[in-house]
Amino acid sequence: MDFSLTDEQKSRSREFNDTCNELNKKRPKSLVGFEAIYELDECWEYNLYCAREFAKKGWLALGWPPEYDGKGDMMDRVLFAEARGYYGTPGVDIFGVQMLAPTLLQAASEEIKREFLPPIARGEAMWCELWSEPNAGSDLATLAATAIKKGDEYIINGQKTWNTGAHRADWGFGVFKTDPEARKHHNMTFLLLDMKTPGITVRPIEYLDGSAPYCEVYFDDVHVPARNIVGQEHEGWSVVNLLAGFERSGINEIMSMMRGLEEMVAFCNETKRNGKPLSKDPVIRNRLAQLACELEAARALAYRVADLQNRNEMSLMDASAGKIFFSELGERFAFVAGDILGPYGQIRTSRWAPQNGQWEKMFHEHFITTISMGTNEIQRNIIAWYGLGLPRMR
Amino acid sequence: MDLRFTEEQEILKQSARDFLATECPKTLVRELERSEKGHSPELWQKMAGLGWMGLIVPEEYDGIGYTFQDLTVLLEEMGRNILPGPFLATVTSTFPILEAGSEEQKKDLLPKIAQGEIILTTALLEEDGVFDAASIRVNAAPKGDDFVINGTKLFVDMAHVADHIICVTRTNEGAPEKGITLFIIDASTPGISCEVMPTTANDKLCEVRFENVTVPRKNILGKLDEGWPIVENLLRKGAISRCVESIGAIQTCIDMTVAYAKERVQYDRPIGAFQALQHKMADMWTAMETGRYLAYEAAWMESSGLPCAKEASMAKAYVNEVYRDVSKWAIRLHGAIATSDDHDIPLFYRRSKAADTAFGSTDFHREIVAQKIGLG
Ligand SMILES: Cc1cc2nc3c(=O)[nH]c(=O)nc-3n(C[C@H](O)[C@H](O)[C@H](O)COP(=O)(O)OP(=O)(O)OC[C@H]3O[C@@H](n4cnc5c(N)ncnc54)[C@H](O)[C@@H]3O)c2cc1C
Repeated sequence: MDFSLTDEQKSRSREFNDTCNELNKKRPKSLVGFEAIYELDECWEYNLYCAREFAKKGWLALGWPPEYDGKGDMMDRVLFAEARGYYGTPGVDIFGVQMLAPTLLQAASEEIKREFLPPIARGEAMWCELWSEPNAGSDLATLAATAIKKGDEYIINGQKTWNTGAHRADWGFGVFKTDPEARKHHNMTFLLLDMKTPGITVRPIEYLDGSAPYCEVYFDDVHVPARNIVGQEHEGWSVVNLLAGFERSGINEIMSMMRGLEEMVAFCNETKRNGKPLSKDPVIRNRLAQLACELEAARALAYRVADLQNRNEMSLMDASAGKIFFSELGERFAFVAGDILGPYGQIRTSRWAPQNGQWEKMFHEHFITTISMGTNEIQRNIIAWYGLGLPRMR
Repeated sequence: MDLRFTEEQEILKQSARDFLATECPKTLVRELERSEKGHSPELWQKMAGLGWMGLIVPEEYDGIGYTFQDLTVLLEEMGRNILPGPFLATVTSTFPILEAGSEEQKKDLLPKIAQGEIILTTALLEEDGVFDAASIRVNAAPKGDDFVINGTKLFVDMAHVADHIICVTRTNEGAPEKGITLFIIDASTPGISCEVMPTTANDKLCEVRFENVTVPRKNILGKLDEGWPIVENLLRKGAISRCVESIGAIQTCIDMTVAYAKERVQYDRPIGAFQALQHKMADMWTAMETGRYLAYEAAWMESSGLPCAKEASMAKAYVNEVYRDVSKWAIRLHGAIATSDDHDIPLFYRRSKAADTAFGSTDFHREIVAQKIGLG
């Protein structure tokens, strides 16, 4: 066993970090937390700027095959994600670059790959995910929005919801019922659609902290070319499952917390309460030390998942365990940090807020990772049923 | 022993529940959160009409003369519904007046409080953000028959709408707890300025700056340099008050989650049929019920005049975390729908943060408990 990086990997990791550090200098102060890129114009602009800078280096196509102008390998993706997480650098569209591109590479026709991969690699096309519906959340297979084929088009009707960044996206990938008569799991098709198509209405929804990162999307006779399909007609469910496997690995979030821990340590060293540095308070020392242990464990497990993926040996169990662990670590971190800050923990980004209000933001944002990408209860079912082989609920 | 509410308490509880349900709907809660004032004078007047601000004010000062425990019955309902505004700030600032006010101060202020004519708040925390005497640095210096106050207070609940501020000042540089003096200050006195701080709960905590604010000596509440025990009593009563208010909020989070779990169908059954969620809800309920009786015990002791610093701190430390965890789980068990600001659960989750820090955080109260159980 060997946890170390090769010299070549080390030097690439340095390059990723240096670039993110450099990009950080132009970071708007209003960019606090993960989802602010979708909310504020200046943050979205910065996201696009970072995307273009990364594209110039070929980093939006890391791990793609050479015939699609790919560069590097899966391990480079991991190292790049670490650097971005640590510096909180946006610019890698989680929907287009992280989820859709690897899905297209595995499941789309040559024509679709040639059409949709290059704009993703150039950082030009931003995507959103159009899956969930008001009545189809965890049980996505019961979705109701329809795409009925008419000649060489699908006509889409219905509603999607909780779609992150749909108001910013150029394109959306979605699943729609194409054969209302067929049995569950064989009645839906995975489609790619231009968000500017007439008949699409996007309405931002306010998140609990008052920001607006996600949306409701309504479809009223929306015409989509029939060739914009991924996988087989009526067999979109298998594409959904393939794509879900590429959802955030957590490396990004874990490195972001690593950075957060460094900042919290610095804060405790610098800040005095009653004339004594917070860093001398045994309760605070104990809690931050525990977080450090958990963070290292989370990172080690994330490496385990990455290592398996590198070898094309997907382990559902480890991926689910990693997702549960890093997302709930995010909850604990938010609460511990809030406790340490005392009454300042409730101050939103403003002149009174320590460290630009990032901890107050975290108090709201941890739900993103525990609920989306398959709730943690669903992840626990996966471990129990598919991993441990326990009897399945019917 | 009889752990039931009295008949009058049951009546108070029911009438408060009915009143708040009609007069303080969530649309108003949201409107007040977004408004600059965070206070509805109309609602305030209606509450005054019911005698709520005078609940603990003795009859001789035009109040109703109920007990502290009666007050907590009302507070629990306020927590259950959510009542934004300066009620708790005013009531907790009434405690020290009842306890240490001169006859003149009581005659002047208590009837106005009871009638809902004035709003009070207490300015305690400063830059350190901790509830101990050593961190009080706002200074009051004698000048003839007056005192001149200088310095900045933070996290002052609803100071921007208050008519009077009870300001905790340092008047003597000796031992930390020996030189503390409380002043009742007219909020319109020249030299006072106030700015609302943006908070998780949008609950209008303020920064209050005092620049050469001149206050007559007769406005001292209690005795010169001997104010700290009054602050401790206020903190203890405030902690219990906030705790019971939180219990009401926790109850709503659980009620809403259980109701939704019976309704929301995924995988062809109500999500409440999944045992993973049933056990979580059973845990939430257990945490609430233990917290509830712990808080009731502390409230009863306080109300009966028994020493209860330990029990009050136990209740606050425990309920702080129960509120946070239950409201967090309420969101997680609802799924995405409760991450939206249109849903009521986030109103509670965000308030759990405010409840946590008000009148002492979990760690602050655990330290008191550690001392009280004899850790040397
Ligand atoms: C911040 C955020 C961003 C999102 N972004 C997107 C997006 O970009 N695109 C998109 O399509 N969707 C998005 N979603 C939606 C997300 O995919 C769903 O929230 C998720 O699938 C859960 O569905 P639900 O919210 O309807 O909850 P439900 O499925 O109704 O679940 C409610 C509760 O029941 C539990 N539960 C359900 N089934 C079971 C079971 N079998 N066993 C045990 N417990 C169970 C859940 O864990 C949860 O606690 C986002 C959600 C959030 C919160």
